[in-house]
Amino acid sequence: MNEERKTILEMLAEGKINTEEAERLLSALSKETEKGSDVTEIKSGYKYLRVVVEPGPESENPERVNIRVPLKLIRAGLKLASFIPKDAQAKVNEALHEKGIDTDFSKIKPEDLEDLLAQLNDLTVDVEGKEKIRVFCE
Amino acid sequence: MIPLLLRIHIRRKGRRGVNLWLPLFLLWLIVLPILTALLPLILITALILWPSGKGKPILCAYLMVFRLIGNLSGLKIDVRSRDNTIYINLI
Repeated sequence: MNEERKTILEMLAEGKINTEEAERLLSALSKETEKGSDVTEIKSGYKYLRVVVEPGPESENPERVNIRVPLKLIRAGLKLASFIPKDAQAKVNEALHEKGIDTDFSKIKPEDLEDLLAQLNDLTVDVEGKEKIRVFCE
Repeated sequence: MIPLLLRIHIRRKGRRGVNLWLPLFLLWLIVLPILTALLPLILITALILWPSGKGKPILCAYLMVFRLIGNLSGLKIDVRSRDNTIYINLI
């Protein structure tokens, strides 16, 4: 049992807080611990983001894509992108919009990336049996 | 770590392929002194533009270039189809 949890239970036993307040505090504490462990896992375990595209059983084009990007490079790239002047960012977003990508990359912060990678353990997308796309960290 | 070697392998149907090992450490020997020599100029520019709010981004972007170069190692792009191959690996 960690110190914070013990303190909350002691406060409950002493009658300083009621059961509802204790429950709220414990759930907030467990959420914080969960989030912290995810980020630690990403920071310590994974080094690369991998994107693998393999032809599916119905595919006519046997094209294979295997991309490995260092996570540190993505983080550095995101930070560098935040230094791009706003008018240039608007042009980039406009170009992306024309390609059908409605994402403002300047709003993605390194902390968001950590959260995203924590959720992105092993994502597999099957595109109508033609292609199998796997995105994962290693 | 700074990438020291770049491997490029390109193969296209009906054309002569390319298979190169480029010693990037030789490139860094040229680029890094140039970037370092530019530092005073960057600092002066940042100092002049600091009141307008553009100084800090310039200074940070300069530092980020080093960080980007340092984290390029391990980048691999491998695209293969029946007739074509594009393989880029920074080691």
